[in-house]
Amino acid sequence: MTVSLIHAKDVSKRFTRTSDLAERAAIWLGAMKPPGTVHALDRVTLTIEKGEVVGLAGESGCGKSTLGRVIAGLLPPSDGTVEWQGEDVAKLSRAEARRMRLATQIIFQDPMSSLNPRLRVQNIIGEAPLFHGLIKRAQARRYVAELLERVGLDPDHATRYPHQFSGGQRQRIGIARALAVNPELLICDESIAALDVSIQAQILNLFMGLRRELDLTLLFISHDLSVIRHISDRVVVMYLGRVVETAATDLLFDAPAHPYTRALLDEVPTIDRRARRFAPIEGEIPSPIAPPTGCHFHPRCRYAEPLCAKAVPDLRPVAAGRLSACHLAEDILSASATKHGERSCASAR
Amino acid sequence: MTPLLEIEGLKTHFPTANGVVKAVDGVDVTLSKGEILGLVGESGSGKSITGFSIMGLVEPPGEIVEGSVRFKGEELVGAPRERLRMLRGDRIAMIFQDPMMTLNPVLSIATQMIETVQAHRNTPRRQARKQAREALARVGIPSPDERLDGYPHEFSGGMRQRVAIAIALLHEPDLIIADEPTTALDVTIQSQILAQVQKLCADTETGLIWITHDLGVVAGLAHRIAVMYAGRIVEHGPADALLDDPRHPYTQGLIGCVPAANRRGEPLDRIPGTAPAPLNRPEGCAFRPRCTRASRTCETEPHQTRDGLRGWHCFHPVAGEVPA
Repeated sequence: MTVSLIHAKDVSKRFTRTSDLAERAAIWLGAMKPPGTVHALDRVTLTIEKGEVVGLAGESGCGKSTLGRVIAGLLPPSDGTVEWQGEDVAKLSRAEARRMRLATQIIFQDPMSSLNPRLRVQNIIGEAPLFHGLIKRAQARRYVAELLERVGLDPDHATRYPHQFSGGQRQRIGIARALAVNPELLICDESIAALDVSIQAQILNLFMGLRRELDLTLLFISHDLSVIRHISDRVVVMYLGRVVETAATDLLFDAPAHPYTRALLDEVPTIDRRARRFAPIEGEIPSPIAPPTGCHFHPRCRYAEPLCAKAVPDLRPVAAGRLSACHLAEDILSASATKHGERSCASAR
Repeated sequence: MTPLLEIEGLKTHFPTANGVVKAVDGVDVTLSKGEILGLVGESGSGKSITGFSIMGLVEPPGEIVEGSVRFKGEELVGAPRERLRMLRGDRIAMIFQDPMMTLNPVLSIATQMIETVQAHRNTPRRQARKQAREALARVGIPSPDERLDGYPHEFSGGMRQRVAIAIALLHEPDLIIADEPTTALDVTIQSQILAQVQKLCADTETGLIWITHDLGVVAGLAHRIAVMYAGRIVEHGPADALLDDPRHPYTQGLIGCVPAANRRGEPLDRIPGTAPAPLNRPEGCAFRPRCTRASRTCETEPHQTRDGLRGWHCFHPVAGEVPA
């Protein structure tokens, strides 16, 4: 059996705010409640195979960015383990851990706040490979020029500063910086969300090209389902700290097996759906400090049964290659399959 | 019948130390009662400034240098400030992208809403409060009685935007200008708000201009769409016609940029280059440097070609080349 590139197993991440002296006094006197714990991730299991593009979808506060950071080794998990090519990341030696972190690079949403405004582009891109001894100082200029060309920028601009570039170009600089250390896994955390539509398309094309040329593995985190659908081989949907569904892209979009995925797909605005009636699911995402009991989605779910408020549904196989964390997954799946059939008939008419 | 809103040849310019920024440079729009117009464009295209110009909210040194804005036949460009203030919040309302910036953080929702009611009518406080509560209930805020006494920071992003919409609805305006009101919200919350807005426009015959960069949202919501580029409307028409059979190469490019279900994994069509800097726009058609169809003719400004309900500004329109 081949070893997965990343295997995160039962990963939980909790954040607690530390109280200052005045707050501790207030809590002691009973004038204030102790600060709550945010359950950002709750027993999340995720596997990424080499060469795969995994799309991680969900709304704000669902824990998708936290999961990205835990996988990148930027945040230690509170519980559970992350394995990199079969080895527990927490037990790696310092040198191995450094190698693993180099092989995993993140590209953030806002290129302006992730690029140092006082450094020239050649230093932004060339610093890491020099420091890690991947290139010699004499080679740096040519190395940076090659990277700039690869991401579609003019190599002559290497002496410029970040503010001299547009948003799309800055994002390309961020990508070149990540590629400079020869990563195997790129984590794109809402990397195109802040860009204009025509620029988004350019960057998406760049990602797809890089993946082919460099045999990269991508974890593509986004709230935009049409983007996820376009680029991913497999999709993972999260809701309030838990994975609710995972399946191959076509299977998931054709017939979702979780009520939340189904609601998300119904609500996503696309240019193919005109003059439609918006029929949204009610309510808002609950607070991660006090999540609902049982299935986190049950207060908003139109299929919810008494069981859903009591028992936490496991993420379990419901069909070939599909996992869903819903007690009623089989019913939802067959209902969506029928609905999909109707929809394709309607569009054929 | 006079249309609800008629904008003709609107130009809003901002003089700066380096030259004049022509944010809006010749915009024509008409809107009838109960109609929803989607005003689509990328950042810097002038779509928000168009909205501000209608409301008379352009701040100096920016000013409307040319053109007219007629609201129910009444000219608003050059109208006295007092008259504009009477219209704003009463007959014309605006909803902004970020409700945290438009709601006063130190006043309760009730105070802010009652203030709005009493700014235009001599309504007793008790009556004004009742109106405020009804407006909150109408936009789907649960337990409006209790929430009325809350402060903006106690509301979630989606709820805050509902409050902003409720305030806009207080006087049942004839025209609402919504500037990217759902861009910062999650899909499920956006959908809730779109559902409410759609119902309100149908029920009360309010005209709505929905400013956005998201073609998907206007496809589902708008009756008509106008596409802006570099301060001008390059194409407008009924939503179906414009999206299925675009005539301007920029409209076609924008539609091609959106990932579609049936082309998974294939490279997206892309518009090369970036939008021109506002101080350095090319002569003639501003889209010329990014356009594959451009020729020498495009160095002069294209006039409008009209075809029934639709129109476009292009010398080499796309025709019959429907993207698959």
